[in-house]
Amino acid sequence: MSGFIEPEDAGLLASSFAAAMLDAPDPGEADQALYDLGWADLLAASPAQGAAIAFGALGATGSAATLLDDVVVHALGVPVSPSTCVLFDATLYTNPAAPQPGDPRSLMEDNPFVVNGLVSSRVERATTVLIAVDEFEGTAVAAMDAGLLREPEPTGIDPAHAYRHVSVRIPTDAVTPVNAEGNWEDAVTAARMALSYQLTGGARWILTEARQHAIDRVQFGRPVASFQAMRHKLAESLVLIEGAESLGATCLRDPDPMKAALAKSLAGKAALTTANHAQQVLAGMGFTAEHRLHLWLKRMLVLDALYGSYKSLPTEIGRDLLIYGTVPRLIQL
Amino acid sequence: MDPETFRRDLTAWLDANADELTPPYEGAGSMDEQMAHYSHVKRSLYDAGFGRYGWPESVDGLGGSPLLRAIVGEEINLRGLCDPNPWTMIEVLVPTVIEFARTEVAAALVPPFLRGDEMWCQGFSEPDAGSDLASLSCRADKTDGGWLVSGQKIWTSFIQYAQRCVLLTRTGEPNSAHRGITALLVDVDSPGITYSPIETMHGRLDFAEVHYDEVFVPTERLIGEENGGWQVAMDILPYERSTTFWHRGALLHRRLSDLVAQLSDSGDLSDTSAKAIGEVFLSLVAFRSRSRDTQYRLARGQQLGVETSIDKILITSAEQQLFEAVRDLLPGVVEFDGGDHAAMWRTDYLYSRAASIYGGTAEIQRNIVARRLLDLGPES
Ligand SMILES: Cc1cc2nc3c(=O)[nH]c(=O)nc-3n(C[C@H](O)[C@H](O)[C@H](O)COP(=O)(O)OP(=O)(O)OC[C@H]3O[C@@H](n4cnc5c(N)ncnc54)[C@H](O)[C@@H]3O)c2cc1C
Repeated sequence: MSGFIEPEDAGLLASSFAAAMLDAPDPGEADQALYDLGWADLLAASPAQGAAIAFGALGATGSAATLLDDVVVHALGVPVSPSTCVLFDATLYTNPAAPQPGDPRSLMEDNPFVVNGLVSSRVERATTVLIAVDEFEGTAVAAMDAGLLREPEPTGIDPAHAYRHVSVRIPTDAVTPVNAEGNWEDAVTAARMALSYQLTGGARWILTEARQHAIDRVQFGRPVASFQAMRHKLAESLVLIEGAESLGATCLRDPDPMKAALAKSLAGKAALTTANHAQQVLAGMGFTAEHRLHLWLKRMLVLDALYGSYKSLPTEIGRDLLIYGTVPRLIQL
Repeated sequence: MDPETFRRDLTAWLDANADELTPPYEGAGSMDEQMAHYSHVKRSLYDAGFGRYGWPESVDGLGGSPLLRAIVGEEINLRGLCDPNPWTMIEVLVPTVIEFARTEVAAALVPPFLRGDEMWCQGFSEPDAGSDLASLSCRADKTDGGWLVSGQKIWTSFIQYAQRCVLLTRTGEPNSAHRGITALLVDVDSPGITYSPIETMHGRLDFAEVHYDEVFVPTERLIGEENGGWQVAMDILPYERSTTFWHRGALLHRRLSDLVAQLSDSGDLSDTSAKAIGEVFLSLVAFRSRSRDTQYRLARGQQLGVETSIDKILITSAEQQLFEAVRDLLPGVVEFDGGDHAAMWRTDYLYSRAASIYGGTAEIQRNIVARRLLDLGPES
């Protein structure tokens, strides 16, 4: 398998991935099933398209498989494996007093380090955690024993996905440099693109559920889908989803960090707006633990919060524009 | 001609002729000045060949993909060389007229329009038929060799500059709705047509109220079938939302760049400004990405339809967000300041308010998305 994946093949891959995800509710089993289906080869041969296919399926199925670890590991230039996970959304800070992203202090200067970031549920099964370390010369990658970051009780709003915040002091000799060709910016770009496909995939699922409910649910003698207030909420959702999907596809053709940040932002906005509108359409039923809306809502909240939320990314992007003093064309015919 | 070569040749030509193509007036100019300059730019593009690409030979075009038309308007708007609105009428009306009017009528009337020598207008809306266009009542009755048109239209943009009007008339029973509508291509100087311009909130005479009193329209000026005018109107709408929108997206891009440059020059890196700029950019990029897809669908010869309502909703929110941001981030400019620069921000700010009204209101677009794209069944 190499290079561009034809739409038909992409469709087939997406459905076999989705089937495997639905068959294996446990994230560890799902990861293994996807590796068995060739996920690692796909990622190596067509990283962006492969991620689009797999993450679209994650969004649609609600699977808690931890493929984001692989996307970041791959972009850092390290071989992927179900027993390697990463510290997300954060670099290693060598000064406990000033844990600032982008802090360019050397890995080996201080003892102990503060490891501060997010890990997925893969940390429970993994042997190794990779950490990006910001240095003057660029990104370095270090590895440490996953056991050091294992928390007794996973926390957070989405227990199935089980992302958790870790902030741990570790001794210098617990960390070993890893030979890695990738860099941090590429990893962030790849992660944002992957997340955007999962968010739009999830948004589509939510919209489909809400649409069906609106058609089936009768009040005042007619389907609630006939009320304009409901119709316009669903229409707004579709518009946002289509805009986000379009930019996601543009990113695939021609990826760059700014487009990926915009795509992530639009997708987060589409997913959370759709979840809010769906909540209103589903009303009481949508507030129950029985209806699956809450699972998707929680998942979308988590995905939106990773690598910059839709409310925070525009500020970053806008500041870049103000610093350059110009606006790039970005979308070309 | 491939789009990249075309763009390269075009931009080289635009750069070489920049002095001659730049508006001679300061600021936005009066409507007369704008129209005169629009004609000049159009004529220059036509004579240089660029204005003829993307149009079929049957109307004196040089052929090639509609993408080439998207590119011409994009480059013109990125440089702010002329007002985009009169140009809109070409992109909205001509594709449908080529498809539905008699070949010899299109061959005779379209070229002067493309050349910028003539202007056309669109007579759809009536005092009692706005969003509910299918309820229009301006009548066309059969007579010897054609029709006699009587009734009233409103909001007809540019009629005071126009030679022709694409007019929707009632030819069926009064309650025949969309089944009894016929489209005609009418000469604006025909006896029986009178109009009075209406001033807009941005202080211009953009549109007019128009009276038709037994106006004779010859048979060959029929567009489409008799009683087939609804199909013609529905064919026009997607054009209103494809090439034209790409052009307008370029204008919005330029105005966002102007705003960013102005803030950046003043050293403004505040969170408030960064957030507002980032959010406008986000909306604009979403629109332009979607519209890019639409340009390629058009270029591949795919039939555009109701899905272009999504493009419309996206551009409307980008435009309104942009000019709201102008008002927020350049405090007082819209409300108080003098000079051409402030006047242009003020004009754009006010004009952006029409974006959710013309071409089908924001609510009508959402109705279309709900009914036709989400298939939610009838409204109660
Ligand atoms: C700058 C400008 C230029 C224009 N140029 C032209 C032109 O060249 N030629 C031409 O023919 N027309 C033109 N128009 C007219 C334009 O097409 C109409 O204004 C538009 O179709 C809306 O009609 P209306 O103004 O009568 O509003 P109405 O239809 O009266 O609507 C009033 C309000 O009710 C809402 N509404 C109506 N029906 C529904 C519904 N079913 N569901 C929910 N809400 C609804 C509308 O959204 C709107 O908010 C122009 C308008 C503007 C502003």
